[in-house]
Amino acid sequence: MIEYPEIDRYASLDSPMHRFDPRAKIIAFLFLIFSIVLIPDLKIVFIGLFFAIFLLILSRIPIAFVLGHLKWVAMFVLSFFVILAFTFPGEEIAKFYFLSITAEGLYTGSLITIRAFSAVILIFPMIGTMRFDTTIKALESLKVPNSLVQMLMFTYRYIFVFADEFQRVWTAMGARGFKLRTSLYALRTIGKAMGMLFVRSYERAERVYRAMRSRGYTGNPKTLVEFDIRRRDYILAASIIGFAVSLHIISFIGVV
Amino acid sequence: MREAITVRNLSYAYPDGTGALEDVNMSVYEGERVAIVGPNGAGKTTFLLHLNGILRGSDGQVEVFGKSMAKVKRGEIIKEVGIVFQDPDDQLFMPTLFDDLAFGPINLGLKEEEVRERVKNALLTLGLSGYEHRCPHHLSYGEKKKASLAAVMSMEPRILVLDEPTANLDPRSRAELIGIIKELNEREGITIVIATHDVNAIPELVDRVYVLNKTVITEGTPQKIFSDVELLKENNLEVPEVFKLFEVLRCFGYNCEELPLSIEEAVEHLTRTVGINDGHFHLHIHEHTHDEVRKLRSKYEHH
Ligand SMILES: Nc1ncnc2c1ncn2[C@@H]1O[C@H](COP(=O)(O)OP(=O)(O)OP(=O)(O)O)[C@@H](O)[C@H]1O
Ligand SMILES: [Mg+2]
Repeated sequence: MIEYPEIDRYASLDSPMHRFDPRAKIIAFLFLIFSIVLIPDLKIVFIGLFFAIFLLILSRIPIAFVLGHLKWVAMFVLSFFVILAFTFPGEEIAKFYFLSITAEGLYTGSLITIRAFSAVILIFPMIGTMRFDTTIKALESLKVPNSLVQMLMFTYRYIFVFADEFQRVWTAMGARGFKLRTSLYALRTIGKAMGMLFVRSYERAERVYRAMRSRGYTGNPKTLVEFDIRRRDYILAASIIGFAVSLHIISFIGVV
Repeated sequence: MREAITVRNLSYAYPDGTGALEDVNMSVYEGERVAIVGPNGAGKTTFLLHLNGILRGSDGQVEVFGKSMAKVKRGEIIKEVGIVFQDPDDQLFMPTLFDDLAFGPINLGLKEEEVRERVKNALLTLGLSGYEHRCPHHLSYGEKKKASLAAVMSMEPRILVLDEPTANLDPRSRAELIGIIKELNEREGITIVIATHDVNAIPELVDRVYVLNKTVITEGTPQKIFSDVELLKENNLEVPEVFKLFEVLRCFGYNCEELPLSIEEAVEHLTRTVGINDGHFHLHIHEHTHDEVRKLRSKYEHH
């Protein structure tokens, strides 16, 4: 079986993050993510990372689940780290043949790596603690442009359908003896199968559009939302935003 | 009786030139249950898409309750005619069942309480209460099928159009769905139009059958359609198993004019025959019996 991309697998747990009002949560977390990403000081970015881990633990999402996703991010970010370490101009601290590592390169590389990890870790307590359809509704009620909301909505709905369709094609190919090899034949076959999938999804889109028009779709679907923001949510949001701001104040006056 | 749907001289060709419908004429009366049968590619789905204006034929017209489709706004038609498509994954496009069922009523411009009320009623009718917050991809095929009917019922249409409602269902879900469709018709007077290959469901489900193969070949009661061997052969149509069984019995000397199409009719028929013949009926084998059975077999072979 292929794995469904289920960021919201642990949405049904219970934690302060799960109880946090979706809209307040999105705003507070986005604020925090952006402020961490903009911090120029490595030590303070580390404080941000620890806070992100703290919020993650608070959300009760299993760490193994997060690490599983972080693996891919790590591969991407670490390659950046290496490139920066070797190419950033500055004081040379080590040399391999004609390549040299600079202190500035290490610093900048670490800064970017830690920022990226903090941001990705924060995604989990933010949208991993509610069902994705709730996230979409929260975005809708935060007045995110309707076309973007619709795009998310349909992506979320149909990604599973396409995953199943892909699975079916793959199984059918396997059942008729197809093995993945790096031969021209294998590549051509995969190309054809992909083309088939593409045509199928195009046809599905047409049928879905018909079904939507049959029920009065005119371009702006609305949903009914029932969010209930309470004082607790304001306090929690204010604390997170307050923390984000204080990171910048510390960094600005340079106390650490 | 009032005509719910009137179709006159409808022709349609897809943009790529495939002629799907030619000069189709049809009348469906209010409160009636009508089936449209025909081989694969006969244009059934294409025809259904004309009933609420998704597709529009080059000429000819479709009228709903006497109002011409060309003259009224699409919103008006959608209120009257609900279409349930074949693949529930096409029909359920919102993230949760609640949102899906609310989609139509919201588009009709109803107030929030009214929308919630309709969603609740539709869930109740289909036996899906408690499923509000489920995502479609976590439902079984049978549940999805019911949910897509619910999503149309929440718009409270007076005409319900279904494309292959019983395909790919297990026997229980199939019986359940047939029951629901009948009940909607009998209790709420909703006019039903069904495109189907499920011949065993037809006698129970509909009053009248249209045979469509690009154009309307013929029209009549299930009894009339299933008795016309040539027609069935030419249009790749099956007959209900019960019907075939009684034809076999006839070869063995069972006496009947009108063959039963469903189990209920069969029971009725047998009771009647036994009543006439002092408590039993009688079968026999003559020389011609085997010949007749052979003829019967070849009649139902599709080549
Ligand atoms: N989008 C399309 N573009 C071009 N041709 C199409 C399109 N959809 C259907 N057709 C063609 O129109 C004809 C009628 O198709 P339609 O799907 O209406 O048949 P059907 O009676 O519903 O068949 P089935 O019993 O298989 O569902 C077929 O020849 C089909 O290939
Ligand atoms: Mg069809």
